This record gives sequence, C-alpha cells and structure tokens, in this order.
Amino acid sequence: MLSTLTASDWDRNKAAILLHRAGFGGTPQEIDFLAAISPAEAADSLLGPTKFIPPDPPAFLEESGTEEALKTERAKMNSLPDPAKADARREIAQYQRSTQGRQMTELRGWWLKQMAEPARATREKLALFLHGHFATSFEKVRSPHLLYQQNSLFREKGYGMWSDLVLGVAQDPAMLIYLDGAKSRAEAPNENFARELFELFTLGEGNYTEKDIQESARAFTGWGIGATNGKKAGLQRGAQPSFKILPKWHDSGAKTIFGKTGNFDGADVIRLTLAQDAAPRWIAQKLWRFYAGWPAPEPLLKELVKEWQSLKGEIRPFLMAMWTNPNFYDPVRAADRVKSPAEWLVGLCRQVGRPLPAPALSAHILNQLGQNLFEPPNVKGWDGGIAWINTASISRRYEYGSWLVEGTQGMQKLSGLNMVKMAGESGLLKMSLPEITPEGVVIPRGIKDIDPVEKQAAAEKMRETLSLPPAPVVGIVTSEERQSPEKLLAALSSRFLSGETIPEDLRARFQQAAGGKTPFTDAAVRKMVLAIVQSPLYQVT
Amino acid sequence: MNNHELKTRREFLRTGLLGGSLCWTLPAFLSRTMESLHAQADGALIQGVTGRDGNILVVLQLAGGNDGLNTVIPMGNDEYRKARPTLGLTDSSILKIEPQTGLHPSLSGLASAYQDGHLAIVQGVGYPNPNRSHFRSTEIWATAVDSDQSSTTGWIGRYFDNACSGCDASVGIAMASQLPQSFAASTPKGVLYQGASGAKKKASKKKGAAAKDADGSMMTMDDDEENGEAGGSIGMLNGPGNLGHLSALDFLERTEMDAKVSQQEIAKASTKAKNSVPYPGSRLGQNFAMVSRLIAGGMPTRIYYLSLGGFDTHTQQAGAHERLLKEMGDAVAAFLADLKAQGNLERVTLMTFSEFGRRVKENASGGTDHGAAAPLFLAGGGVKAGLLGQMPSLAPRDLFDGDVKYNTDFRSVYATVLEKHLGVKSELILKKPFPLIAAYG
Repeated sequence: MLSTLTASDWDRNKAAILLHRAGFGGTPQEIDFLAAISPAEAADSLLGPTKFIPPDPPAFLEESGTEEALKTERAKMNSLPDPAKADARREIAQYQRSTQGRQMTELRGWWLKQMAEPARATREKLALFLHGHFATSFEKVRSPHLLYQQNSLFREKGYGMWSDLVLGVAQDPAMLIYLDGAKSRAEAPNENFARELFELFTLGEGNYTEKDIQESARAFTGWGIGATNGKKAGLQRGAQPSFKILPKWHDSGAKTIFGKTGNFDGADVIRLTLAQDAAPRWIAQKLWRFYAGWPAPEPLLKELVKEWQSLKGEIRPFLMAMWTNPNFYDPVRAADRVKSPAEWLVGLCRQVGRPLPAPALSAHILNQLGQNLFEPPNVKGWDGGIAWINTASISRRYEYGSWLVEGTQGMQKLSGLNMVKMAGESGLLKMSLPEITPEGVVIPRGIKDIDPVEKQAAAEKMRETLSLPPAPVVGIVTSEERQSPEKLLAALSSRFLSGETIPEDLRARFQQAAGGKTPFTDAAVRKMVLAIVQSPLYQVT
Repeated sequence: MNNHELKTRREFLRTGLLGGSLCWTLPAFLSRTMESLHAQADGALIQGVTGRDGNILVVLQLAGGNDGLNTVIPMGNDEYRKARPTLGLTDSSILKIEPQTGLHPSLSGLASAYQDGHLAIVQGVGYPNPNRSHFRSTEIWATAVDSDQSSTTGWIGRYFDNACSGCDASVGIAMASQLPQSFAASTPKGVLYQGASGAKKKASKKKGAAAKDADGSMMTMDDDEENGEAGGSIGMLNGPGNLGHLSALDFLERTEMDAKVSQQEIAKASTKAKNSVPYPGSRLGQNFAMVSRLIAGGMPTRIYYLSLGGFDTHTQQAGAHERLLKEMGDAVAAFLADLKAQGNLERVTLMTFSEFGRRVKENASGGTDHGAAAPLFLAGGGVKAGLLGQMPSLAPRDLFDGDVKYNTDFRSVYATVLEKHLGVKSELILKKPFPLIAAYG
C-alpha cells in the first residue's frame, strides 16, 4: 500500500502545492485553511462531496429554432437551379460554422468559469485531465452540443469507477464521431477507435497485437449513433445524435481478443482490456504524471498499481491516496511540474483576485499558449510538461501576464486581435441564414454583408468588453507590507509561489522591479507581481 | 557551455533586456513583431545573400500518414486499379513525369519542378518492421533508430549536438506549435516561430485599407474561415519530450533566454528581405514565405521545420487528399521559385516525409487505413532530379499485411542529406552507416 503523510509532515508549502496541483490554485487564505487541517482532510476537502451537483449548463443549449430554420432553408436551397444552389449552400454552411464558432467560445468560457469556482476546481481539473486523455476535437466532431455532453460525462463520472468511464467514452457520440466508430460496420470495420483505445486510453503501445485491434474493431461494430428521432441510423446533419446499438451493423461472429474467443461486443472488449496487467499500470502512471508532473519510477509505480487494484479502479480514493503520499511532495522534483495554460490562466486570475477575461479573450489566450480547449492537437491530447514551453509560448505567457496584472488600458496591447472576428465569436455580430426569395434569388446575410458602420461599432464594443483594468492590489498587500521590498516580496511570494526557494538573482530581479520608493504604490506592487509572473519560477508548481 | 554561447549570453546581458531590466515586459511578443515586420518588409529592397552561406535543410512533415500511392502513382498498373476501384486516379488525369510514373493531378507545382530538374522522388521509403501507430512511427522517423529501439534524442538534435554545438538556439527554427521530437538534443536547440494564420496573411496581401489596418478589425470573419480542412484525429506533430540533463526550471530559464535572443535575430533578418514571388494564402504557403525571407535575410539557421496535418484519411479521402496535396505542392513550388530568384536555390534542400503511407487496398469508407512504405520528395538546386529507389510491387503476393514493402531505408535518405548537403559524417548522427542514395550530382 502507498505510504501516507503524517500530520507532522504537513506544512503550508505542501498545502500550497496541493491546492495548485489538485485544482487551479487559490488565495493565501485557502492555503492557510488547508495547512491547518490534516493532509487527508485537506485532500478530502478539496475533492469535495462524492455526490455530484451539476453546474448550470451553458446558455446555448437552450437556443431553439435553429434546426427548423436550417431545414426550411435547405429545402428551399434544393429546389434552386445550379449556380444559385451553390451560393445558397455556401452561405448556409458559413452560417453553421459561424454559429458553431460562437457556441464553442461560449462553451470554452463556461468551462473556464467552472474551473475558477473554488468548490468545483478539483472535479474540473480531473475533467481537464480526462479531456486530454480521451482527446476529442471540435475540428472533426463539429458539434458544440456533443462536446458539452462528453465534457459533462467527465465531470459527472470522473470520481467513479474507471471501467464505467471507459465504457461511457466508448459510447459517447463525440468519440464515436471522432474516432470513426459511428461509421464502422460489420462489412467494413474501422480500426481507428480500437487502436487508440489500446494504445492511448488503456494499455499503451506494445501491450496488444495488430490482430487484437482488428478483432476488437469487429466487436465494436454496431455501436453507433442515431438521430434522436430514431428514424434513421447514422449521423443526420443538424439533429443531435445519441448513442445507439445498431444490430444490423454488428459483426456477430466469433472473435479472438487477448487470447479469449467468443461472440464479443464492445463491452466485452473493454472488460477484457481492463483485465490486462498493463491496464492499471497505464492509468495509474498517467494520473500520477498529470498531477505530480513527473513519471513515477518503478518501485513507486508498483505501489500505485497495488493501490489502484485494491480500490478496484475507483478514481476519487485513488486521487486521495496519491495526494497524501510523501513522494507527491518530493522536494527534488518540486520545480519539475510545468503549469498547463488553463492552470496558468485560471490560477493567475484567482491569485490576483480578478474575474476571468471575457470568453473570446480567454479562449484566444489559451489557444495562443497551446491549449485550445476542445481542440487538442491530436488524439494523443496535449503532451504537457515541458512541451508547454517553447520560445514562442514563454514570450506569450509573459505578455499575457502583463495584460492580467497591469491591465490593457491606454496601451496597444489588444491591437493584435481581430475585433470583428471576436465580436462574431461573442455574439455581438450575428450572421443570419441567407434569404432565398420566391424568385430564387439568394441574398447573403453573412458577417461580411453587415453594414460597415455597424461592424465598426461592434468591434469598438468588443474592444471595450475585452479591455482589462489593472489587477486590484488593495486586498493583496497590507500597508505594513508596502514598507520594504523584503516584506513585499515575502507577502507576494506566499501568494504567487508555492514555497520554492527563490534563487538570489531572481530575488534581486523581483525586489528591484518595485523601484526604491516606499511605501510602495499600487503600481509598484503590480510591478513586483508582474516580475514574479514573468519568471521561470512562476511557470512551475 | 562553450565560448560562443557565453559570448552570446554576455552580449545579451549587455543589452539590458533581461539582466538589468528586472521587469521586462517584452516590447511585443515574437509573432506580433513578425506581423508588423511583414508590413515593413513589403517596402524593403531585396538584399543579397549575406555572408552566412552555409547549406540549409528544410524539412516538411506531412502528419497523419500521407497516401503515397495516390501521390506518386504507377501508371498503367492493373494491381493499382484493382486495389483502388474508387480512389484510383485515371491515367488521363495523372500528371505523367516518367513513362510509368505520374503525380497526383493537384501536384502540378511539383511536376514542373521535376521538369526543371529540381525535384528528386525517392520511392518505397520505409524501415524494417514497420509500426502502424502514428505516434510510434513518427517517433521512429524522428529518432532515426531501429523500430525496436528507442532514443531520447532526435536525428536533427544529434546533428545540432555534433555539428553546431557552438551555435545559437536559432540554428533550428520550427514553424509549428511545438518543437518537433526530431529536435530533441543533449543540449537543447531550436526555436519556434508560430506563424500567423493563413487568413491574416491573405488579408495583408490585399493592398489598401484592409492591409493597413493594424488591428485587423477591417477583416471579415470569412477571412478566418479557411481552417475547415480535413482535420481527422491526427493533426499536429508531437513535442520533443526530452529534457536532456535539464530540470524543468533549467529548461524554462534557457527558453526565456533563447526567446529574447532569437526574437532579435529573426526580427533583424526578416526586415532585410522580401519575397519575390506570390505565395498561396494558406498557412503552409505563408510559412514557406517566411522561411524564404529568413534565408534571404541571412539567418544562420541550418534547419527549418514545417508541417502540414490532416493526412489521416480513413474516410472520404479523395477531396481531402486533393486539397492537402494542392496546398503542399503550390507552397513548395512558390518557395522554389522564390529561392531561385534570390539565388539561394543551390543552398537549400527541401525534404518531405510522413510517418507512413497507407494501405494499398482502399477501405469501404472511401478512405485508406494505416500502411507502411511511401515515396518522399527532395527538392532544391543541388538535388539531382529523377526517380530513385523502386516503385514497390503492388501484387498481393509481394505485400506484407496488405502494405507495400520498403526498398529504401529512410535513414539512407537522412544520411545522404547529412553527408552530401550538410557536409557532416552521417554515422556520428545516425549511429551506424547507411548506404547513400544518388540524390545529388
């Protein structure tokens, strides 16, 4: 079994590390609270109740009328003669894309808001892990509704049994589209999902054969999606599809998978897969690596696997066991966990006590930093760790850090943004379906067709919405702490850093940033905050 | 740490941008600087090649597994027709370059490069015991070790370690969102330039008000709508994942330094030159345009790395593959023409690769599944045009698990480029000798 930290090993630095790694960081008060209780109580309090209380869903789910309007327009389009038909088709497709883009921006902002909610942070962090693990991208799925649905699955089932989660994902419509399961039929089984299930989701490369993939692909046939009206199998444009078993598509012959032969279906494949020795090792290592920031060496991994097995793959208690294990706080590896862009953004906003930027800007920042939510780079998800850091992304972290600390007013900081595009993503400018007159004339109603004056006004409005005031510092430091650079740095590092030793040259860089004039003004305090945020040390936790 | 690095760091500290400045907000981050520089470069005169005249390798990754068989196509081949009843291209549409070989119809740019004598096609490139996982096979190409071995360094990284130990990080520039795994080195090198989207460049090409509007607010939303290309589940490439001997914090400090130094270098180089031919508005086209300006501007960079994703065409391949090949072919053709006009064509070799080709037989979803060997392209002034290697046999008895067998190890291609173009001993980098191919005169 995994060893456990005793109360006497527990201190404020460890509490700070846990607060950041388990969720998205927080305020010194939250750290103090965790430091004052036992490590097990701290982990349990961060994990929160086992019972799941769903958040209010994003508003776009309630939008109605779009599907009917689209249907009517398509019918009109189909009766048009050729050149006009192509115009109408293009305009309708553009309308759909623009609607989806707006909904995705809302969805991204909505998720970030959940992450920034202290009582939800831990569950959301796990959902973020699962999103990267079972990577699924809007680029192919093209449905904000289905991506929200998958995201809800991670949130709701994340604390439960691993086997339920894997099964849920295998039957999730977004995944069925992303890895082509929805198109896989007995006559032509598609290997895409079976391969990634083994290679990336459950076992790791080298723990299965090509034959296992081919046979499993056959077993998964018949797991598809149907339009909610159930009339027509397969994906219907426009309708929200749901999981559906299609008996006619299923290959009911015998299959041999991992040495066992039978008339298996998808659920059997998952059962057989998770019974492989490689299965607990794979997920235990991935969870450890995500939360601790470095791979567990063999003796520790063995312990983790034993723990996982004794818990029968239940995730909440496993997280608890990891977080109360002394190795999780190994001081030698303390600076080896790089914050992901979402952790960085949400954490920084919480630390400086400001709300998240508007969804369009938050989404833009994360995309620029390499973590476009709902669009992971490929089915492997984000590599994480040092792969977050490169010459471009570190410059951008420093740049955005200055936006969030000093604000964007009176500067050209937002000047690189396409305000019209963002106004479209934010719903300030909405394109409509093209008008098709009884005479068969197609009148486009795209963003490009909006009156330039109106467009300019929306862009201006967008700029106002996106602009950020300087971070409030009144609540961050006391007047006593403004009296000397040492005191100010002590106060700020207890808020922004997790107790790492600050190298001498950095300490000098931080202290000099505030200038020499005491008591420090708000602007001077911000300068020191910014120096901390614009340092290599701030990027790890 | 060697002397050159020390010198660079000293120079760097002297500029006061890092050491003394304490709270250094970057004046503007890399890509934005680049955007305004693009505008300035429009007015700049072409400058001749500077003293930095070493040879350059440009690597283009086609991520996802390019269908080699529909890229370089055997003509008049019954097996091809049998295996590809719907996806097969007809002889009349294929761009014939040799009596029995043609290129995909959307590769007209490459067909003319072939006629001009600047393109070599290496056929049947692969490796023993091929792996059909995207990630593992990409890793094999990146690390250039046997498929049952692993390595923490990539082949380009080992080139940096062996041949460029004194160089700045900008000896390698990747136009991507992450450093490619092939850049992983004992002493990390390589910087990243995240090119602006194709759309942005498209707009700035339009003369007039829209181009002058620095914040882009005049652009319509439709200008940014071009990214709906065949995404698939395999898009971009994977990161280096190797720290060498550094901790994450060391790596961060180093990257912070590299960012500053290379930002200055790149800014300087790219203002010196402008493109002399029009490039396609696609992201890849614009990235090639940038590489060309950096070369003309005298960057000391030896390796440029670009990538194009979306080649994992399991379903409905025909249209998607055609668009991807067109994007690639048009961008490469413009790049070659531009280099020629600059007088830099002789110094540059462009090499394409993809982690694998695709299954010979098409599947029932109008696509193709993961395969093995495939052709790759080498282009440039020093390249000897022609067909190298053999078109693998498509006869079912000659296939292995439905895939063509390789006849040229990809490391023979690497070895040739390293020896003949970059002038280094390939065995140091590839860890064993590989026979060279006749790609250079």
